[in-house]
Amino acid sequence: MTKWTAGSAFLVAMALGLASASAQGSGTFKYAEQVKLITMDPQQQSGSGVPYLRPVYESLFERGPDGKPVPLLAAGYEVDGLNVTIKLRQGVTFSNGEAFNAEVAAANINRGVKLAIIEGLKTVASAEAVDEFTLRIKLKEPDPAIIDSLCHTGGMMLAPAAIADPALDRNPIGTGPYVYDKAASREGEVRIYTPNPTYWDKDKIGLARYEVWELPDDTARLNALKTGQIDAGNWLANPQSAIIDRTPGLKLIRGTGGLNYHVILSDREGTVVPAFADLNVRKAMAHAIDREAFGKAVQFGLAEKSFQPYGKDDWAYDPALEGIYEFNLDKARELMAQSKFPDGFTFDMPSIPIYQSRLEALAGFFKEIGITMNIVPQEPGTLARISRTTNFPATNLVWATNTDPKFLALRYIYADAAYNPFKAKPTEELLALAQQGLESVDTEVRGPIYKKMAARLAEDAFLIFVTNTPILIGVSEKTANNPTVVYRFGEDSINLRGLKAND
Amino acid sequence: MLRLIFQRLLALVPLLFIVSVLTFSFTSLLPSDPVDLIIGDTGTQEQYEIVRERLGMNEPVVVRYFQWLGRAVQGDLGTSFFNSVSVTGAVMQRLPVTLSLTAVSALIAIVVGIAAGIAAALRPRSWVDRFATLGATFGQAVPNFWFGLILVAFFAVNLRWFPATGLTPISASPWEWLRSVTLPAVALGLSASAAIARQVRSAMVGVLQQDYIRAARAQGLPARRVLFRHALTNAMVPVVAVLSFQITVLLGGSLIVEQVFAINGLGTLAITAVRQQDIPMIQGLVLVMVALVVIVQLATDVMYGLLNPKARPS
Repeated sequence: MTKWTAGSAFLVAMALGLASASAQGSGTFKYAEQVKLITMDPQQQSGSGVPYLRPVYESLFERGPDGKPVPLLAAGYEVDGLNVTIKLRQGVTFSNGEAFNAEVAAANINRGVKLAIIEGLKTVASAEAVDEFTLRIKLKEPDPAIIDSLCHTGGMMLAPAAIADPALDRNPIGTGPYVYDKAASREGEVRIYTPNPTYWDKDKIGLARYEVWELPDDTARLNALKTGQIDAGNWLANPQSAIIDRTPGLKLIRGTGGLNYHVILSDREGTVVPAFADLNVRKAMAHAIDREAFGKAVQFGLAEKSFQPYGKDDWAYDPALEGIYEFNLDKARELMAQSKFPDGFTFDMPSIPIYQSRLEALAGFFKEIGITMNIVPQEPGTLARISRTTNFPATNLVWATNTDPKFLALRYIYADAAYNPFKAKPTEELLALAQQGLESVDTEVRGPIYKKMAARLAEDAFLIFVTNTPILIGVSEKTANNPTVVYRFGEDSINLRGLKAND
Repeated sequence: MLRLIFQRLLALVPLLFIVSVLTFSFTSLLPSDPVDLIIGDTGTQEQYEIVRERLGMNEPVVVRYFQWLGRAVQGDLGTSFFNSVSVTGAVMQRLPVTLSLTAVSALIAIVVGIAAGIAAALRPRSWVDRFATLGATFGQAVPNFWFGLILVAFFAVNLRWFPATGLTPISASPWEWLRSVTLPAVALGLSASAAIARQVRSAMVGVLQQDYIRAARAQGLPARRVLFRHALTNAMVPVVAVLSFQITVLLGGSLIVEQVFAINGLGTLAITAVRQQDIPMIQGLVLVMVALVVIVQLATDVMYGLLNPKARPS
């Protein structure tokens, strides 16, 4: 009996110990980020760098394996016109002990609206707590993408103490599985995260330590991956990612989503460059681009041809548009001959260093049909703003392929769209499709509408889609074989819930 | 000697003032705008104006400069445009990293340079001399970033003897610090060691032909004593001048080598700051780099005076 009791006590102690070890996690996982950390305030985050935030902050929703939003800090939702009611998960606390409830969630959303940096919150008028665990978001206009927007930085929840902290950008407090260890981190070099002792789903904490290394130099990041200093890292389509793709022992993961590189003929009514008002010219330009050669030569074989804004894994993707502007120099020349500008013309295109080689390739293609594109270098970081001005009749940008299609209209189609600086009026049909796309939250309903919109955009040819590059994550062989590694849909990070170390 | 140090430190004040005026003026002429990066691709014109106002960028340059100067004289170099990181804190965090890299590089450059220079000078036109000359030419011709990449590829990626990236703080692990500093220090020190070797050889060849060296040898002094006590001490006078210049070059070179090895020093901070147009950070970095160069030159002058009594201020 005594033996049984002692044995049982031993087993209980072992079980408790194991449970405790499980809650604390074990081992270290090292991820390398290609951009330096600017801020750990998700609501002031305007670009890349989300992998720094994910360990600490959880959003109300997250994208499931099929890309559709599933609740995370939320428990469910209902969209009724301009009111979005969200039931919140109960029993969640922030890592500093503060409770997570509707009041806190509303304060978070209202702060994001006030700061107005997050594009996904621009349709939100305000948020309020209905009861302790029910949040209501009031919209200014119908927004079927609001739940999707709450999967990202717009839906990340900050602790009230963090919001009140003027140095929030370096003192994040969230509900996530890990907490930021500022003392162990080295500013500008590595961010250290350790398990959150108050986490609401302790079984999902698989690591004793998570590290995000700031390695912006592509070669240094590649060397760190090769030598095992990091387990994974994100890349753009460049020579280093191409090396990963062909190096034994390393693997280049092609994630869902990615970046679509495209040319925008902003002056499509021909205010400055009359030729851009000629549909034959625009179509000729679209046909003159050898996208396959472009993808191989300029994007190191890591990009694929694109004729529409959506990626193949997107619900709005239309296979019927594939090849609509296949490379056909004869046809392009024929279209130019039919246009009012058979002898060609000249226009200026802004360029930042990262796009220089792309534009040189495009200039070569356009030259073949008599169009001279002058590449005008601009300072890095200024292209977006310049593209919103009438300084140039055309521009070139990238678009995240899993962005909700409603943003296409907001960026390019409406007369007051951000990247429609010449205020060109959309056709009635295009405008109607853009409006219809907002009338339902159901992607089954919205899909056909946005497919029509993409077809109409292809017909108008003022947006010339060139290539799609998937999200690229370089990993070691051990990481590739780690069954707990789950890549987030449409994001350059690994889901930390349940992630365990490689060894 | 103390007067010299005091005079030099006093001269640092107007120098830093002039440099700060120039840096502020030049950065204000840059065509790019940090506000673009802060508000991102989807920022509106209204947000743009709000952020510009918040950063004080709508004020005239002169007003901004004197506001900055007022804080700087109290030791506050300001805060980054992009976050709450203080410029002083960021610079002070990276300074030991760059200084340790530069110090080890300088040590390698001095040891290798002097050894190669002496070896070549002892047997002019021998194969040792020709080999040292060839090595020095190679060292000065090869860019340090390229040499760094080769070192990483061979010793870190293939042999795995050293880490490919990063610099472990000496306080965390002296052994790991030594492993992590070796490759970047060798890459950085190569060019300087070549310059020092050439200078030492040239100076030593001249000194070894002097009468007092012949006299020392004739008196039967041991060859080692003649070499190190009498010849090298005199040959080091012009070498110190080269060394001062080379340490300044090493500080500049560390900006590039830090990138190759992903070392979080002043160089990485400077490149990030310039890319982001983080003007307070650029301003602080320039001032610190200028102060470092002045201190290196001051140290050289002091050493010069110690080696050559004639050069001491009366």
